[in-house]
Amino acid sequence: MKQILTLCVVFAAGMGLSVEAGLLGPLGEMVGHMSATFCIFLVGSLLLSFALVFARDRALREMFSQPRWMLSGGILGPVYVVIITSVTPFLGIGTTMVAILFGQIGAGLVLDHFGAFGAARQRVDGYRLAALALIAGALALIH
Amino acid sequence: MITILLILLALLGGIALSVQSSVNGRLGGAVGVLAAAWLTFVLGALISVLLVLFAQPPQELTLLDAPRWQLTGAFFGVFYIIAMVFSVPQVGIAAATAAVITGQLTMSLLIDNFAWLGNAEIPLDLQRWCAIALLFVAMALIYIGNRKRERGENAQ
Repeated sequence: MKQILTLCVVFAAGMGLSVEAGLLGPLGEMVGHMSATFCIFLVGSLLLSFALVFARDRALREMFSQPRWMLSGGILGPVYVVIITSVTPFLGIGTTMVAILFGQIGAGLVLDHFGAFGAARQRVDGYRLAALALIAGALALIH
Repeated sequence: MITILLILLALLGGIALSVQSSVNGRLGGAVGVLAAAWLTFVLGALISVLLVLFAQPPQELTLLDAPRWQLTGAFFGVFYIIAMVFSVPQVGIAAATAAVITGQLTMSLLIDNFAWLGNAEIPLDLQRWCAIALLFVAMALIYIGNRKRERGENAQ
């Protein structure tokens, strides 16, 4: 029962991601795509700083003793947000989300296969390959 | 033609997201998911300030002129991060991933269909229903695949 409730919350969180993209597109059209991206990261930083103050784990001080490449993931965040901001007004949210999903699952397969970024190597498996093919089909149908 | 290009761009966004979550996954393992997400957002804010200052043509309206509800996007992103932090240990990554993507796709098709939040209307036609069916099977496959991997990792 508790698991089902948790899954509902996660489902709602996924819905939220689409709402975020749905808000970003029109905002970017109005005030500029870079400004819309900035708004996301500024508000997000503030909210997470707030959350961090009350977080239980106190690992922040170990952050800068990690290898530098591990800290560089954030550089790609704006790439993603700028892209969804500028693309959704033309493609719609549905097509954008399915295209992103395809890129995500496809890249995930490749990264896992080669064990990139120190993750355990996972051979390409039939399940995800078939899923990728179906998502490609859905992408062709949806736009 | 332009549509294909834009779809490729969105694909590239998905690839960026995947690489980012792979790197962040490693960082999260070392310092905690919340701290990793915090760093991502702070770096993102720094980069996007530079983009606003140097890569954006002058705009007639600024963020402060927009209706405030349009600025709330980040609340949903942060809610997602926190929801994942608490739920993944409970339900596992396989179920959590499937639930997130299902929620994401459901909402995106609803927004398109009803033209919510000031977006263009794209009705839910037969083609889109067929796409939903394909995506549903794809989700099931991803869930089963991830589930197998989780079991394998637990067994090791």
